[in-house]
Amino acid sequence: MNPITHQPQLYLLALLFLVLLTGCGADYLDVNENPNAATRPPLDGLLASTSSRTALNQFSVSNGHTANFVQYLASPNQGNTDDIYLEVTSGGAWSDLYDTMTDIYDLIRFGEEDGLARHVAIAKVLMAVNLGLVVDNWGAAPYSDAFTGETLRPTYDSAEDLYTTIFRLLDEADAELPAAEDAPPFRAGSDFIYDGDLDAWQRAVSTLRARYLNHLSETGRYDPAAVLAAVDAGFSDFSQDAAVTSFTVRNPWAQVAENNANLLLGGWLSEQFVDALNGTTFGVKDPRLPLLTNRNVDSLFVGTVNGAGRRGDGTEVLESYLVLEGALSREDSPLDIITFAELKFIEAEAALASGDQERAETAFTAGVTASMQEIGVDSAAIANYLNEAYGTDDVDRDDVFREKYVALFLSPETWVDARRYDYAYKDFSLAVNAALPTFPLRVRYPATETDRNAANVPDVTMTDPIFWDQ
Amino acid sequence: MKRLHHLGLLAVLLLLSMGTWAQQTITGTVRGDQGEALVGVSILVRGSGSGTVTDLDGFYSLTVQEGDVLVYSYTGYGSVTRTVNPGETVIDVTMQAGAQLNEVVVTALGLSRERKALGYAVEEIDNEEIIRSQQNNLVNALQGQVAGVQISSAGGGPGQASRIIIRGVNSLDPGANNEPLFVVDGIPVSNETLTVGGGGSRNVSNRIADLNPQDIESMTVLKGGPATALYGLRAANGAIVITTKRGQAGRLSVDLTSTYGTEEVNKFPETQKTYTQGFGGVYDPNSFWPSWGPTVAEARDTAAARGLPRPNDLFNNFENAYVRGDQWRNTISVSGGNEKATFRTSISRLDHEGVLPFSTYENTSFRINANYVASEKFNFGGGVNYIRSGGNRVNADRFNERLVYWAPQADVQDYIREDGSMIGYRNNGTVGNNPVYGEATNKFIDDVDRYIGNLNFNYSPFPDLSINYTIGLDQYSDFRNNFGQGSVFQGAPNFEDNLSNGNGFVTETRIRRRDVTSNLNAIYSRTLTPDLNLRLLAGFDAFDSSYDRVTTTGNDLDIFNLFSLNNAADIRTSSALVDRRLLGLYGDLSLSYLDAVYLSVTGRNDWSSTLPQANRSFFYPSVSLGVVLGELMQLPDGLSFVKLRASYAGIGKDTDPYRTNVVYDPASGFPINNVTGWTRDDQQGAPDLKPERTNTIEFGTDLRFFSNRLSLDATYYNAKSVDQIIPVPVSNATGFSTFVLNAGSMRNQGVELLLKGTPVVTDDFSWEVNLNYTRNRNEVLEIFEGVEDILIGTSFGYAGSSAAIRLIEGQPYGNIYGRSYARFGADEDDLFLERGAPLLIGEDGFPVIETTPKILGNTQPDWFGALINTVTYRGLSLSFQFDTRQGVQKYNQQGNFFSAFGTAPYTLNRNETIVFDGVLADGTPNTTPVFLGQGVGPDGVDYGAGYYRNRYRGSTENFVEDADWFRLRNLSLRYQLPTTLLETVFVQSASIALTGNNLWLSTPYSGFDPEGNRGNGNGDDGFGGFTYPSVRSFFVTLNVGF
Repeated sequence: MNPITHQPQLYLLALLFLVLLTGCGADYLDVNENPNAATRPPLDGLLASTSSRTALNQFSVSNGHTANFVQYLASPNQGNTDDIYLEVTSGGAWSDLYDTMTDIYDLIRFGEEDGLARHVAIAKVLMAVNLGLVVDNWGAAPYSDAFTGETLRPTYDSAEDLYTTIFRLLDEADAELPAAEDAPPFRAGSDFIYDGDLDAWQRAVSTLRARYLNHLSETGRYDPAAVLAAVDAGFSDFSQDAAVTSFTVRNPWAQVAENNANLLLGGWLSEQFVDALNGTTFGVKDPRLPLLTNRNVDSLFVGTVNGAGRRGDGTEVLESYLVLEGALSREDSPLDIITFAELKFIEAEAALASGDQERAETAFTAGVTASMQEIGVDSAAIANYLNEAYGTDDVDRDDVFREKYVALFLSPETWVDARRYDYAYKDFSLAVNAALPTFPLRVRYPATETDRNAANVPDVTMTDPIFWDQ
Repeated sequence: MKRLHHLGLLAVLLLLSMGTWAQQTITGTVRGDQGEALVGVSILVRGSGSGTVTDLDGFYSLTVQEGDVLVYSYTGYGSVTRTVNPGETVIDVTMQAGAQLNEVVVTALGLSRERKALGYAVEEIDNEEIIRSQQNNLVNALQGQVAGVQISSAGGGPGQASRIIIRGVNSLDPGANNEPLFVVDGIPVSNETLTVGGGGSRNVSNRIADLNPQDIESMTVLKGGPATALYGLRAANGAIVITTKRGQAGRLSVDLTSTYGTEEVNKFPETQKTYTQGFGGVYDPNSFWPSWGPTVAEARDTAAARGLPRPNDLFNNFENAYVRGDQWRNTISVSGGNEKATFRTSISRLDHEGVLPFSTYENTSFRINANYVASEKFNFGGGVNYIRSGGNRVNADRFNERLVYWAPQADVQDYIREDGSMIGYRNNGTVGNNPVYGEATNKFIDDVDRYIGNLNFNYSPFPDLSINYTIGLDQYSDFRNNFGQGSVFQGAPNFEDNLSNGNGFVTETRIRRRDVTSNLNAIYSRTLTPDLNLRLLAGFDAFDSSYDRVTTTGNDLDIFNLFSLNNAADIRTSSALVDRRLLGLYGDLSLSYLDAVYLSVTGRNDWSSTLPQANRSFFYPSVSLGVVLGELMQLPDGLSFVKLRASYAGIGKDTDPYRTNVVYDPASGFPINNVTGWTRDDQQGAPDLKPERTNTIEFGTDLRFFSNRLSLDATYYNAKSVDQIIPVPVSNATGFSTFVLNAGSMRNQGVELLLKGTPVVTDDFSWEVNLNYTRNRNEVLEIFEGVEDILIGTSFGYAGSSAAIRLIEGQPYGNIYGRSYARFGADEDDLFLERGAPLLIGEDGFPVIETTPKILGNTQPDWFGALINTVTYRGLSLSFQFDTRQGVQKYNQQGNFFSAFGTAPYTLNRNETIVFDGVLADGTPNTTPVFLGQGVGPDGVDYGAGYYRNRYRGSTENFVEDADWFRLRNLSLRYQLPTTLLETVFVQSASIALTGNNLWLSTPYSGFDPEGNRGNGNGDDGFGGFTYPSVRSFFVTLNVGF
């Protein structure tokens, strides 16, 4: 054998070797940048998701527990833990809120880096709204140490400090919004609440300020005059409501109604709410009720008792539910964050507190009227209802809370009212089989916190009040 | 990387400077000790990859160099070595049956090594053992055959995925792949089970199921650490090295194998057949409740008076819903060649219809292997396998769940009206989801086109040196089509899953996976002194994997049964691209002294694209030692062979791609109004991840007695995995829900025993017994501080009775947590349920539910094993295999539903009044009689929905069952026609085989066969119930060779 004749094969082999090794430069391994995601997000896209989700979070909190606590809704299942206040943590709502606040945090951070004042100012309002839901439902919570990813176990800010933060965020937004007109605009449709209308945002800031100042009604810091001043700069019409009307498929309450129709049960109206509107509790039939729900097989509006579960075996329509024809549960119903009607009831409450009965009367009437008009009750029926229910009596605090309860149907804000009002709604009683001897005053921290952040999470029970609830 | 370049160039220079040695051709015949020709004896040139096998006459021909050592090996005959003397051209060999001293096995990188030279345990199963059980899924063929290997399946569905775990789960990460690497003819191939596109609850295949078992020559199981160190990080969980059949020089031979199989469900759950539809003991044919009504007799007494039709007898709809399955598999192979070139090609077709209606699987496979000896120094070869596989993958979970709701008085097989609408079980058939209709109208069909190709080049510039290069491609596309039919007319009864997002839907998923591997190595062998041999190996490999998926869903079909995206009103799409690249440089130095002491040291450095730049290069070593005592000293009488072995290996491991940084994703639910939303990803990647590492030590011994008639192989291993990369769950307030961290460690240690004996052997008759035993103990050693536990999986149960598998420090993998009946005096802090303590009875007279989850069982068996017997008399051979798995529990979700719906036989006592055995909170015995039924009891008390719905179903304890089993896994009878009979015809060989699988099962578990799991993921082995049931199957196989 002559080695020379085999040399072509050797060269071939050497070539293979070389080809192989050329491929293994350092670049070859640099393929770990995720091609399906962005390292820096489009800020219009962050605004889109956070503005949309701020509204969806109202639903998360309400459907998570507050709608059951204030007895807007009741479970068809006996002894449902939300109905009976059993160890309620509302973990889903907590994570929704923190997911949204994380994106808002990034929106503010990147927006400030890029000089996008519009994005930043709106983001601060959104942050205030979401943080408001956190503190009003759970109390103390991580904020100043949160969202950075730098610490595994973020520390908690006290509820009082969080309120200071909320007011600071609103003040900053208030100050920055006028100047934001000059900042670069964003893509149309990215702001799901006001589509970039900065005046509308300015009014919403004042409306929110009125809400959070009014939350302090039971504290020494309560200042009705400050509330009324904020009211003056707030909404002047229900067309200015902060709400979202575009959804992935449908309004989430419509999804509940749809699911219920498909036997994935939910959205059953509580007897407390139905009785308040069908004449049982107050002797007056509220024209809003037929617009919100269905009649049962006997053509009656019937609610479900919280904690007691369904009446029949589920084969007949014995109760009233959220339905796809309902004013708040149509596919395209607005999902409210804060409304003109709420502002009017805040005004009425503050006016009463400051002794201005006339202003209270006007605001109260305007609140009821707005609530009814918004869902299509005609003026004659409104006048008739107001006359039948209240006649010429002076409006008092009970009237304000009664009507605000109805006007804010499904809003998580009502649970704040219920606690400030000590659940003194007429005929309001503990759920059947209640796990607590008294009404709940807060929800517990979710397992994700007690498991993963045990060192920081405060040890609280559902009957420990939030600082403004005294 | 520069260093790599230098090393490579050095190797090339080294090659170029080497000379050549003379070659010669050896021929010969291999015979058994009875003088019979041995067919298919493997002959390998030691230290090189080259070799051949004997033909039908036991004849072989091989090109060798003088001084080469030829290793002849044959299953059941052990191996024989011969050295080629100068000028020698004929070597005839006689092999002794039962001799296993010098058996050659395939090791990492496909290298053949003498078994006695190994410092670690290796097991190999050959083609006969693979096809004996007629399993279409190659993974299932390993069931019970190999110690340390646990196979679990998601049931008996056609083409259904199976999962293989070697020496226990070794990752804490719930999403980790704990399965071994599969290598076919030198190239790693994919065995992933992709559930994307709606396949999660469907019985999709693991990709190894694509391979035709008839094409497989042997499978070698490398169990981890020392055995797989050369393969690198991808084999950190072990490796299965598959060698496909090759052509043999000689006449052209054609082999035809045809198998027909039929199957049925091997075990059904028991159901009560007394109580019929209704609630609270009241008969109602419109009731949602299938079995909470009165007895059938009582219902008949009252029905007429109430104007209702006569109530039916009760069906057992579990038995009624399932059908007989059958399958055909035909394989034709052609092989042959001459001294230069050999080839084998095969084509195979499988059609399989399962026991669950509409479940199907088809597999068409074409393979060609060819080898060419270009010169004495250079040979090359390759193989290509094309596979098309897939079928309608039914949703067994939904099917079985719906069967529980289905009232037994209605026939579930009566499922469709003439107009095509569904027949339900209530309200005159207009309401109630029919599971059979569901499978008829809601389908998931996968269609895989796969190409596996490999090319091998072998060059030996001189006898001591052999250079091998292998390049491989494993590429497949998987087109998945999941669709649900809209209602045949507005308001027509339809299956609810078809309507979940509007009227009907289509989801199309397109996947392309492409894995390219390249492996170059050189082996240098040299006899240093007559007593001392050296073998040096160095190599380099590269792996490049890419994955590309697009999923598009169209909801709301305009035409109810046109399953095209063009027919959908609402279209949504998502896509994913994933790339991963690995490079490895490895070496192995092996020394043998006096054929008695074998030492091997390996080192490997991996570079992974998935780790941060600074940490992506990592080195790990292994060392193994084998000592054959018989060569060093005189063994006592009766003891014919003693080997001791010890080894250590550290194996590094990378992580999944894209875990090193923070990213932003398109927000779910968007676009809305054509606006895209963005959101921060919930997982925070770590820019400072370091590789995981598994350190394994292994000790073992191989003892043989009575002239090798009895042998015992025992292994102890201890594998500790540290720096495990886990997505650690964190507070949402961090801005993430998980941080990827090096955050835990875990240990597996265990014992594997293998006992083989040949109690009887005569000229015509032999009896072989093979017993294996495995015991693995796992302990979670450490979890990142502040993380209470790691959730591996959950399974739903009614009334808070969901079961969860969680890992906590100090406990083994696989503990099942759930609610229980409270025990009087139980320590609140005890993690485990104190089963022995008396039940705590409430003031209402019923057991109290303990809501704090307790450990109720564990999903990992205490031990498992198998007993395989093979009896041969002339051409007749009978083999049977008993398998067992012991000390394992499982949550039976079906059992939970059976109690909630009054289906379980024990609910027959529903109208009794009893006193629960237990004590009250004050310690006094319970004396309160309670009614178990629904509504107002004989005592006038209202018991509401009754004991089973109010209490029993809410205790997970009632449904965590012992899932131990003994089974006759396989019984196979094969008759090989004597060659004398065939002499006059053109047929060379013929055999017929009858096979039965799962013929007998003994288990305390109340549901379907407990071997079936919920799925193929981590933790799924702890959950059963609504699984595709396992089957008992019978096969007839005809094999003819021409």
